Amino acid sequence: MVRLSSLPVHVRWEVYPVQHETASRVYYGGSYMEESDWWEKKQKRSLFNEFKYMAVEILFIRGLFKENRTLWLVSFPFHFGLYLMVAAFLLLMLNAVLALFVEGSIFIKPLDTLIIIAGWSGIVLGNIGCAGLLYRRLSDPELRNYSSFTDYFNIMFIFIFFLSALISILAGDPFFEGAKAYATGLITMGSSFNGYVPGSSISGTVSIISASLLAVYIPLTHMSHMFMKYFLYHSVKWDDAPNLKGGPVEKAIIKNLKLKPTWKASHIGADGRKSWLDIASEAPEEKS
Amino acid sequence: MKPSDISRKSECLCHVEPADLTPLPFPYEDYNDRTITALKPDKIKSIESSLDDTVAVGIPKPAGEEEEKAFVERFLAGLKKLFEKENNWTFLQPLILSMEHCAKCQTCSQACPVYEMSGGKDIYRPIFRAEVLRRIYRKYIKPGGKISARLTGDIDLNWTTIARLAELSYRCTLCRRCATVCPVGVDNGLINHEIRKLFSQEMGIAPKEIHDKGSVLQLSKGSSTGMIPLAARDSVEFIEEEMEEITGCKVNIPWDVEGADILLLHNAGEMLAWPENVGAFAIIFQAAGISWTLSSEAVGYDAVNYGLWYDDVQFSRVAVRHADIARRLRVKKIVMGECGHAHKALTVIADRLLTGDLNIPRESAMVTLDNIISSGKLKLDPMRNNFPVTLHDPCNIVRSMGIVEPQRRILRKIAPLFREMTPHGVDNYCCGGGSGFAIMSGYNFSEWRTLLSSRKKFLQILDAFSGEPEDMPKYVCAPCSNCKGSIRDIISYYDAEERSRIYYGGLVELIVNAMTDMKKPIISFGGEPSWA
Repeated sequence: MVRLSSLPVHVRWEVYPVQHETASRVYYGGSYMEESDWWEKKQKRSLFNEFKYMAVEILFIRGLFKENRTLWLVSFPFHFGLYLMVAAFLLLMLNAVLALFVEGSIFIKPLDTLIIIAGWSGIVLGNIGCAGLLYRRLSDPELRNYSSFTDYFNIMFIFIFFLSALISILAGDPFFEGAKAYATGLITMGSSFNGYVPGSSISGTVSIISASLLAVYIPLTHMSHMFMKYFLYHSVKWDDAPNLKGGPVEKAIIKNLKLKPTWKASHIGADGRKSWLDIASEAPEEKS
Repeated sequence: MKPSDISRKSECLCHVEPADLTPLPFPYEDYNDRTITALKPDKIKSIESSLDDTVAVGIPKPAGEEEEKAFVERFLAGLKKLFEKENNWTFLQPLILSMEHCAKCQTCSQACPVYEMSGGKDIYRPIFRAEVLRRIYRKYIKPGGKISARLTGDIDLNWTTIARLAELSYRCTLCRRCATVCPVGVDNGLINHEIRKLFSQEMGIAPKEIHDKGSVLQLSKGSSTGMIPLAARDSVEFIEEEMEEITGCKVNIPWDVEGADILLLHNAGEMLAWPENVGAFAIIFQAAGISWTLSSEAVGYDAVNYGLWYDDVQFSRVAVRHADIARRLRVKKIVMGECGHAHKALTVIADRLLTGDLNIPRESAMVTLDNIISSGKLKLDPMRNNFPVTLHDPCNIVRSMGIVEPQRRILRKIAPLFREMTPHGVDNYCCGGGSGFAIMSGYNFSEWRTLLSSRKKFLQILDAFSGEPEDMPKYVCAPCSNCKGSIRDIISYYDAEERSRIYYGGLVELIVNAMTDMKKPIISFGGEPSWA
């Protein structure tokens, strides 16, 4: 993300529909360029429309639902299961904070219920998703031909987490008491104030270790598309910001035009000293 | 077939049999056994031709191992530059995002008309060439790539791999339908565009029709048609005479009018292939009392910018020339005529290239014409266009610019029998001639285009007119020169004028045809006037 934000402004390469257009245009994929002399008018754009669309896309994978329904049937539970586990973890941490610092909080019971709902549904969906994705990758030649060891490893890695979590809750901790104790321990550097803590189990240990490793591993892989999708959409697919005189885009372009390319084809005429501006302003030296 | 198979030794990696192609309906079943004419061995003996049944680039085979090695090294040097801001600030961020985040879900394949029409040939999957580039990049450019390649997907790199990849980058029309359906937002069309750039900007490899006879000719002579300024003026003079003869309307086409409101940029191909389009624009602008001009300066009378498809530097040079001509003419805005790629090139892509007084406002002719029609300045009789009309959506105007409704608003007013294609608008299918294919005809490439990349469009056209009487003339409105070229070729190849009475033309011709001021129709069907 840091690298991406430091890259130079790129040329426009949007593709329609662009979701921050007004609702009446988004409906059919129209743009502000449909208006005569648009540069003299105030642009009507709605970031709310963009976020609304993006939220549904990231949470429910709307694009796959529309374009590739059979894959969505396994991809959605996989992704939503992961999101629910992140939600369950945040709820566990909130629960731990309240238990430690707010005596007799009225929010503890509702939180307990939410943890159980998010945890159970996340684990069940995640297991269905992992098994389904693994089956699809192995059985469908379209996917298999493009799958590498890493693709299978990634699914297996996540599957280990979901499976061990499922075994843990089925084997004696259906109310996530162990997870609550672990969350409290994270804040208190190991202590627990819970009245009942189930004994540690291999499955519980595996689920905690695998979850911790996944939190580090996912951002390093292409699986980060779950949240990097925001940049793919917002910064490229929907980046239709016009270059207005004296505006920030123009300033960034002027900076880019000073860069010195080194492309070697003869018609380019780059020598490492000429800038993009120099090269774009001159005629190519080549036979016609 | 796997992406790594691109390195496999084979005389032809992918062959398309007639039975593989999506069948055509009545009365075109006799075309279902047609296939691409085999390449003549003597013509291809010294060039790379082992990808499929056609050749678009024609890379000369290497003389020996040294040449092969140098070729591979030069490719890798270019690949590295694609990921450097000094060399590729134009597309660096989009490229990195698309290279790093593909989930390989294959949703893009189902959206690609070439893949679909070929009967699902693996090499035509939008992800195929992207994955080849991704694997080469990871293995040969990224640190530790040779070890990690065994885990992330391996590929062999040799002369054949690279030469086939160059050819393969000219089997995608850059319609970007795949990009619109990708749930992650990956753009395999963009990766294909970057592959073409690498070959052109580092290795000087590009189809001669779009480089030597395209952007180079345009920058040196003034137009990719080869027309010098004097020839352009002669052509327009001829068009003025033709218009008076055809429609009975005397038209005056202005040149180099300083301070005009509008500089109209036509694809110069229109002047030669479809002069009535240039004439129709003039009739409309004259009738509406618009202050406008053409430019007679080299490059200024040809809106095309082939660099859009393969080379950022050539692209920039042409865009700067267009903008500079408009600046010196002191026009208020540039209006792009009926040329899709020129629309996208100068309006959208060049928007982040032109600064200061070169940043002249640019507008689509669809919008200008919609404005004129809505203003009521033209007297129109839609019944003069009382024949079925369908609209082809040029990808560059519609999917890449979001200009969807203006042309439809016009058609609803002037074409009572307007029929939409399915799908249409931003979900449209390419004419098959996008990204330079319409002008590429070396070896047997035009046949590959007509049989494969334009096939979906032909099926769409037939479907749009499926309920119409066979003997009634039908009009495919294609407001883009390249699209018109492709549609002309499919109508001709499949004998659709004779069998289904399908004709084609632009939007302005339909407008002029409905103008009550015209004494005679501008549109005729096989010599038969469209109205009496």
